[in-house]
Amino acid sequence: MTRAISQFSLLVRKDLRIESRSRQTIGLVTVLGVLVVSVLGLGLGAASNVAGFSATAVLWVAYLFSGVLCFEKTMAVERNDGVLAGLLMAPLDRGLIYLSKLASNLILMIAVAAVVTPVGILFFGFDLSAAPGTFVAVMALSIIGFASIGTLFSAVVSSTRLQGGLLAMMLFPIVLPLVITSTQLMLHTFRDGQPASGGAVGVIVAFDVIFMTVSWIVFEWVLEP
Amino acid sequence: MTALAANPFPTIQAAEETTPLVVGARGLGKTVDRRIVLHDVNLRIRAGEYIAILGTNGAGKTTLLKLLATLTTPTTGQLQLFGNDAMRTPSAIRRRIGLIDHQLLLYRDLSAIENLEFYAGLYGLDEPTKRAEEMLHRFNLLDRADDPVKSFSRGMSQRLAIGRALLHDPDLILADEPFAGLDAPSSEFLENAFQQIVTAGKTVVLVNHDIEQTLRLVDRVIVLRGGTIALDQPTHRLYLEEILAEVKAL
Repeated sequence: MTRAISQFSLLVRKDLRIESRSRQTIGLVTVLGVLVVSVLGLGLGAASNVAGFSATAVLWVAYLFSGVLCFEKTMAVERNDGVLAGLLMAPLDRGLIYLSKLASNLILMIAVAAVVTPVGILFFGFDLSAAPGTFVAVMALSIIGFASIGTLFSAVVSSTRLQGGLLAMMLFPIVLPLVITSTQLMLHTFRDGQPASGGAVGVIVAFDVIFMTVSWIVFEWVLEP
Repeated sequence: MTALAANPFPTIQAAEETTPLVVGARGLGKTVDRRIVLHDVNLRIRAGEYIAILGTNGAGKTTLLKLLATLTTPTTGQLQLFGNDAMRTPSAIRRRIGLIDHQLLLYRDLSAIENLEFYAGLYGLDEPTKRAEEMLHRFNLLDRADDPVKSFSRGMSQRLAIGRALLHDPDLILADEPFAGLDAPSSEFLENAFQQIVTAGKTVVLVNHDIEQTLRLVDRVIVLRGGTIALDQPTHRLYLEEILAEVKAL
């Protein structure tokens, strides 16, 4: 167990160190997220035309596109120069490779959300004061589910020649229920002033658990250098 | 031109039979996308052997190496590595294998020592920094330890790649086109490095395109043709023309 934690830590620190050197992913992904929110904000006429917290859907669009780019970039690091074969030859549980990649993706996605969300708040005039904790918790839980399945699919897509838009095509339909649930929850909380229902949060948590467990189990089978 | 029927070195053969078996493959086959890449491969490799796998493109060399590295599973047949079923205990087996690829298997944005420390950590080696420095010293890269791999020449990168593969002191080294793209001095350095590995009692399986170079280096040649073994002989029994004929034969 201690060995697995040590290996997990090594893998995550390696990812973050590479990202801190190259800054290839975080820069691109953040700019894309801000652009999506800005373009939609300007196009929709910002707060005046967007009903209440329907604008969380706009944030989700930014998270989805930023996420897809983020997952592709972080997995590409393992495909360049065949380093994935080096990892697969090491005596470590392949599920650890998935968990570490998920952790790296989550760290990057949270960093992106920390920049993109305030931009959205400014553009759409969100008032988070009613339930800021609920907003953060629901968005964080939703991003965990999104990153869980996105990390798996990025590994699948990276092993094919059909990259580019394929990841988005595979990923978006699957995360749709998660996006709808979290957006509806935000609507009820902020537009209708109702407290977040345990049932809806439970659905998001269930998605997280299912996506993460299934991805962890099948990750080994999608990895072939 | 044909191989000699009788063994001219009976004492060598006797010694070979008492040496532990590293690879034992029986009826090994691999099908990819309904295409048979390997078929009925029977192979025994003993500790300390220096072997080359030759063949034209698509003959199945890299697939065979991937099977021996446990990076892919056979469609048919049995594969034993170090006396164990390769598919049942892959993690324990992988600890004893070092893979050198024509790709570097290194992170270009990390420095040489960061790459080696990372892999040393994954293998759970004691004192990973010390072990990484030992490897850098052995492959004349200590003065470039803190430089990113992306700043290295092809020769330096390949030396580091070999250092990475040998970091955990493996018993079986699998090398896929390690000389590709190297200049003469780098190639010579690598040849000597492989010779030292074999002298230390390790087993080396090499995939190489340069037949003349291969014959100069290895003790035994396996020629793959159409996914099956067409020739498996010690090099002292072979002539260059014979191998060329086997490799090129359709």
